[in-house]
Amino acid sequence: MTAVPGFRPGSSPRRDTLARLRRGWPAYLFLLPTLLLVGYFSYYPAYIAVTRAFTDWDGLNVPNFTGVENFQRAVSDPVMGQATLNMAIWVVLGLILALLPPLLISELIFHLRGRRRQYAYRTLFVIPIVIPSLVLLLVWGSFYRSDGLLNTLLGSVGLGGLRHDWLSDPGTALYSLIFLGFPYVDAFNFLLLYAGLQGIPQDVFDAAKIDGATGWRRVLRVDLPLLRPQLGLIAVLAIIGNVQYFISPLVLTSGGPGFATTVPALLMYFTATRDGEYGYAMAIAVLLMILVVALTGLSRWISRGSR
Amino acid sequence: MTAGPRRVGLTPGEIVRQAVLILFGLLALFPLYFSLVNSFKDRVQYAENLLNVPSTLHPENYGVAWTQIQGPLLNSVIVTVTSVLATLVLASLSAYAFALMDFPGRHLLFGVTFALLLVPEFLTLIPLYVQIRNLTLPSNYLAIILPTIAAGQPFAILVLRAAFEAIPKDMLEAARLDGAGHLQLLRRIVLPISLPILISVAIIRLIPVWNEYLLPSLVLDEAHRTLPVALVSFQGGGAATAVTPNYGALMASYVLSAVPLLVLFAFLMRYYIQGVTSGGVKG
Repeated sequence: MTAVPGFRPGSSPRRDTLARLRRGWPAYLFLLPTLLLVGYFSYYPAYIAVTRAFTDWDGLNVPNFTGVENFQRAVSDPVMGQATLNMAIWVVLGLILALLPPLLISELIFHLRGRRRQYAYRTLFVIPIVIPSLVLLLVWGSFYRSDGLLNTLLGSVGLGGLRHDWLSDPGTALYSLIFLGFPYVDAFNFLLLYAGLQGIPQDVFDAAKIDGATGWRRVLRVDLPLLRPQLGLIAVLAIIGNVQYFISPLVLTSGGPGFATTVPALLMYFTATRDGEYGYAMAIAVLLMILVVALTGLSRWISRGSR
Repeated sequence: MTAGPRRVGLTPGEIVRQAVLILFGLLALFPLYFSLVNSFKDRVQYAENLLNVPSTLHPENYGVAWTQIQGPLLNSVIVTVTSVLATLVLASLSAYAFALMDFPGRHLLFGVTFALLLVPEFLTLIPLYVQIRNLTLPSNYLAIILPTIAAGQPFAILVLRAAFEAIPKDMLEAARLDGAGHLQLLRRIVLPISLPILISVAIIRLIPVWNEYLLPSLVLDEAHRTLPVALVSFQGGGAATAVTPNYGALMASYVLSAVPLLVLFAFLMRYYIQGVTSGGVKG
């Protein structure tokens, strides 16, 4: 149908492609709005970020190419050093908070007797999602104030000596922000782990019981290895999320006191919006992105290698 | 263990487990309780006790909070509803093309869309801000709605494509033989069958959009600012400020801002749980 058979063999597949292209036009029409939006609001800004990292862009004027100057400045900046250290602490502690409390709660609920009871408690731990994240942040900010809940509680149990303004003390500010949001049972992580437990076949549990693996032993020997995909996913998402997270230091401490709660992503934000050094800000952003990609790759490699 | 309607006993272990769960569950909801009880106090009552239910209530705090919050609340509803609905419409079209149509470049284009999940938000934040600042838009709402739709596409397309691919092919073939075009197939068969998944995607996507703070705080002018941006600006400059704010009204505004999601989740909670646990998210 497409070409004269046996004549100019090269042209047949090409015409075939053309015909398929023509027949595919409804598909391209269906994809067009998405591709336009994604191109302009996702790919183009990403392209700008990466290319302007090598310039002295100020957000207004035509940028000049400055090579790797911004990157050299970033790696030699002592504030960046402090910020990177803060970020490292945040990522490590944040990883524990993302994994352990949801795991504990999903194990406890999974081992309750009765489906209705499990359903009720599962719902209880999803309800807190209705609290807007900014409200959670601001309420916890008020807990940390000198006249806030934390100091009141300390005073009422006779530990008044520990009272202080948690977010204004360089020694406690960073940890106050990291440990904000007790009991850290993230609904998404919790549901993922709970679904993972439900996905384990009953025979596996029965076999473990016969082998005498009960209670904590079963959790360690059976549940944890079988939950590896879910735990791995939560770990990767938590690492990526915490490397780029800077809303609570932005809103509650502005990175202070001093640079005690400054993280690289916050530095990137301030460098652009406050100092107008967009080129330098993009260099920090690119360095962070490289870190995110490297950590993602590393964790995938670890989970694949040990399987 | 056999299935069947048998009474579930309360062993000591079971009681301990439930006690721990109730304690943690209530602690997770504590910020809401804290906001609620303190939203009914005046300054003196707030300074006296942070945890009790006050003996004389001050509901006028809600009047103060409402006058400050009604505009941003409405803006948040407009922005969130428009973004999520438009995300679903565009993602449905794309997912239909990827799942059920044959065209050159299908895998490449899907890869291009999917790869966006790997582009971190902080990388594009500042260029987007500059880009939108220089863009003349017919409405300031669009400054946040358009990028939010774009940001929602990869996740929504990924989930919807899997759902559309699972629709029995003979059902679609039958309709096609009756002369239905692609748009009719999508509207009459694919979307109605996929309604639960569409709702799940909408709810899962709705939460980050409702909570979004950074880009709205940069691109929205004062008249169009959304709830999270407004809450931060009421509260003032964070912990460093010496002035004690009117906590009663502040807490009332926190409570009010939780109401829309509370209402929504009262009806649609199970779609969120199904969406996250069904494996659509696991990728």
